[in-house]
Amino acid sequence: MEQITSPLVHPVASQKSNVSAQEQPSTGSVTKRLGNELMTLMMSSSPGISAFPKNDGNLFEWIGTIEGAPGTVYAGLTFKISISFPFNYPYKPPVIKFETPCYHPNVDIGNGAICLDILQDKWSAVYSVQTILLSLQSLLGEPNNGSPLNTEAAGIWEKPDEFKGQVMKHYRAVE
Amino acid sequence: MATDAVRAQVAAKWQYAFSRLNRGEPGISGLMTFSQAWRLATEFLRPRVLTDRSGSHIEYNADDFRKALHLINRCHKLPALLETFLDDLRKAFKLVEREVEQHMAEYERTSGPTIINQFIMRVLEWYKAWAPPADLGNTCLSTYTLNFQTNLFSILPSSFPPAFKALCASTLPSPDPDAKLDDIISSESFWSAAEMLGLMDRYDSLVASVGYEHIEGHVLSTCAGQWEKPVLGDLKNWMADKMIPWMLVTYARNAQTTEEVRHLLQGVGSRFEFHMNKTLCDLRTREIFDIIIDFPDSMGALQDLKECLQRVDQRSALVQSLRKANRKRLLHPGADTKLILTQYVATIKCLRIVDPPGVLLFKIADPIRRYLRERPDTIRCIVANLVGDDNTGDSLVDENEPIQPLQQPDVDDYTDPNWEPEPIDAGPEFRTNKPSDIISTLVSIYHSKDLFVKELQVLLAQRLLAVLENDIEKVDKERKNIEILKIRFGEAALQVCEVMLRDMSDSKRIDTHAQMQKPSVVHPTIISRQFWPALKTGDLVMPGQFQKLQEEYASEFHKFKPDKKLRWLPQLGTVHLELELQDRTVDVTVPPLEAAFIELFSQQTVWSMDELIEVVGSIDRSAALKALITWVDLGVLKEDVEDTFRLLEVAEDPSAESRERRMAPVTPDVAPVMGAQQQQAEKIKVYWKFVEGMLTNLGALPVDRIQSMLRIVPGYDQTVEQLTMFLEAARREGLLTVRDGMWKLNR
Repeated sequence: MEQITSPLVHPVASQKSNVSAQEQPSTGSVTKRLGNELMTLMMSSSPGISAFPKNDGNLFEWIGTIEGAPGTVYAGLTFKISISFPFNYPYKPPVIKFETPCYHPNVDIGNGAICLDILQDKWSAVYSVQTILLSLQSLLGEPNNGSPLNTEAAGIWEKPDEFKGQVMKHYRAVE
Repeated sequence: MATDAVRAQVAAKWQYAFSRLNRGEPGISGLMTFSQAWRLATEFLRPRVLTDRSGSHIEYNADDFRKALHLINRCHKLPALLETFLDDLRKAFKLVEREVEQHMAEYERTSGPTIINQFIMRVLEWYKAWAPPADLGNTCLSTYTLNFQTNLFSILPSSFPPAFKALCASTLPSPDPDAKLDDIISSESFWSAAEMLGLMDRYDSLVASVGYEHIEGHVLSTCAGQWEKPVLGDLKNWMADKMIPWMLVTYARNAQTTEEVRHLLQGVGSRFEFHMNKTLCDLRTREIFDIIIDFPDSMGALQDLKECLQRVDQRSALVQSLRKANRKRLLHPGADTKLILTQYVATIKCLRIVDPPGVLLFKIADPIRRYLRERPDTIRCIVANLVGDDNTGDSLVDENEPIQPLQQPDVDDYTDPNWEPEPIDAGPEFRTNKPSDIISTLVSIYHSKDLFVKELQVLLAQRLLAVLENDIEKVDKERKNIEILKIRFGEAALQVCEVMLRDMSDSKRIDTHAQMQKPSVVHPTIISRQFWPALKTGDLVMPGQFQKLQEEYASEFHKFKPDKKLRWLPQLGTVHLELELQDRTVDVTVPPLEAAFIELFSQQTVWSMDELIEVVGSIDRSAALKALITWVDLGVLKEDVEDTFRLLEVAEDPSAESRERRMAPVTPDVAPVMGAQQQQAEKIKVYWKFVEGMLTNLGALPVDRIQSMLRIVPGYDQTVEQLTMFLEAARREGLLTVRDGMWKLNR
């Protein structure tokens, strides 16, 4: 764990002046929280969702896997996402992107950015990786067509066959 | 043709020799007297047959001989005379040879050492008879002796040394303590004879080996298996009483002063004493395993061994012997863990006596400790012993030993004026665990005491859960145990146990309160889940009235402790039942599963086992069958068809009655608390979850990467080898696949 903290001290220190004391936990406690979240996630067996740090030295960059829920157009498909935790996590939400191209009303097909309220203004420190992953999984089946990033997808959501065709056209299986 | 010069030279030589012999006497009279003297001298000296009792030297006048000798000497012919004499001696030795053959043949027939004694005496007679008179000087005598001995040795047959040895052995004091020393004294003449004939020098090692063998025989016959009292003192006395007189006769016959005696006996004496020590040491080394078993009744042997080891450097032999014995007799699957521990503790105690610095112990204990570490029930065994959970009664720990905190191996304090360096045969990894107590040593078999504390919790949980209601005494006993253990393991380590004990008394209090509000027959033990070891949770659902009782109690509890939730572990505990059947009542105390089944039989009289299992929740068939058999044994149920049971409202066969009486009260099983071993398995499960998560998200990974990623898991302590084995096991179960060293989930 020592390896992790040392390169991270710097950015926190530089933010010291403009970040309030409450929102500035030491990276040690962030690491601890992330470690706990990982443990919880590993030990809970939620079907279809999973995530793990990219490297053993860095707990702040994870890769997640979401399987489309059965009964949705995404059934049987597996999507990789990248999860990047800020140093003041959990006071700020992690940045999450789809790595696997995902044709979805709330996902930018180009850069994988996601429009989900709990990842932006509705974020709360009580959320965890697990809740995020579960939210994403349900988002796949129930998009919020009110604020689409992909308007075309939002447009054809009501036509499942056409929509499924688009999904499959963009989808590239995880190797 | 000889020239004149040569002729003249020969003539001069002749003249010179002649004048030397003739000594300037007129004519050849000088020559005549010389040849007369020569004849006399050679005849005088010629070795003769001994049977000629008239005496060989008598017929010649000693004076004449002396004169003749003088004359020969003047002619410088003494060396020639000596040579002639020795030549004669050689020729005459045939006489001796004949006697040697006779005696040896006689000996071979009777094998009595006395014949050899006679024989030696006889040879001595020859020797004395043939010896040249003192007039010839010492040189001459010693040359004679040397020649006589050489001749003698050359004709002694190969059967002689063993015979001589037997003779020497016969001079030893008999093992009979009342035997007089006369025998030894009488052998003095023999020893002198042997010395004069040079046999002592030639067979020195033989004589010494007689001594060695005698000592060895005595030590083995008197000390083998005698471990109670030290024998070294007795042996020393025996040496002084029996061996020293023999040694005196053998080696120090001619000594005049005590100083001289001491000088003569110094070498051989210390060799013999060393041999005595070594024999005893070897004996004890061979016996060491049994000596340890016999401890503390073998104190004497241990003290002897300690003393011997200081004299004889047999430490490594002792280590080898004991290690071998341990390997053969102790460290095998047939030996009970308890037994190994007992023997280990005895070994510790014994070797502390033999070798206080502990080097021997360290070397011997190492394999035992390694073996114990591999045994799954070692910790349980030690802990059970600590809390006195032993049926055998004999504790590993000496009760007189003061209870003290566990000791950590401490660093050498070089400022201590009494500091001593490690013994020279201590290995580099040697650690002095000086006066540490037995428990510390046992606990140190493992690298941390955490395992012990965990096992202790498990054991305590089992024992507390087995406590029947109102058995305050037992709980108090556990409390006392924990107090003692606190001293050993420290307050903090046993905090959990403390909570468990408090739960017991709290349960009592809560129960009293709940009963006051609403009397119930349920008396639960309420335990704090966080602090108790994981209990195996079953899916047993109590049917009928039990369910109702539980619910009622739970609601009372909730009123009393609104912030707590009661979760039942219905498979634990016992149920006291009174069954009212048509013709009889059955009064029994049974485990909950039995109670659940019989409750169901009050609803309908015939059940198949599968139905029963379904109603009470998933339990395994063997447990179900066992519960049902209990009732069959009690004559309450009957198995009509296989796996189908019927309630016997009326007792069926008369023998049921007697069977019922025979039945011992059903004791509840030991509470199924997960042991430390199972907790280890739980840990492995955690690792698997992580491996699974990692491979799901990161794709195929090599084992090194998996290993380094697993460091994220708190408390991960496996080596790459262990991990590889683990992955291999998962592969065999079809969970993983491996290609080119990359591990992948098998989907």
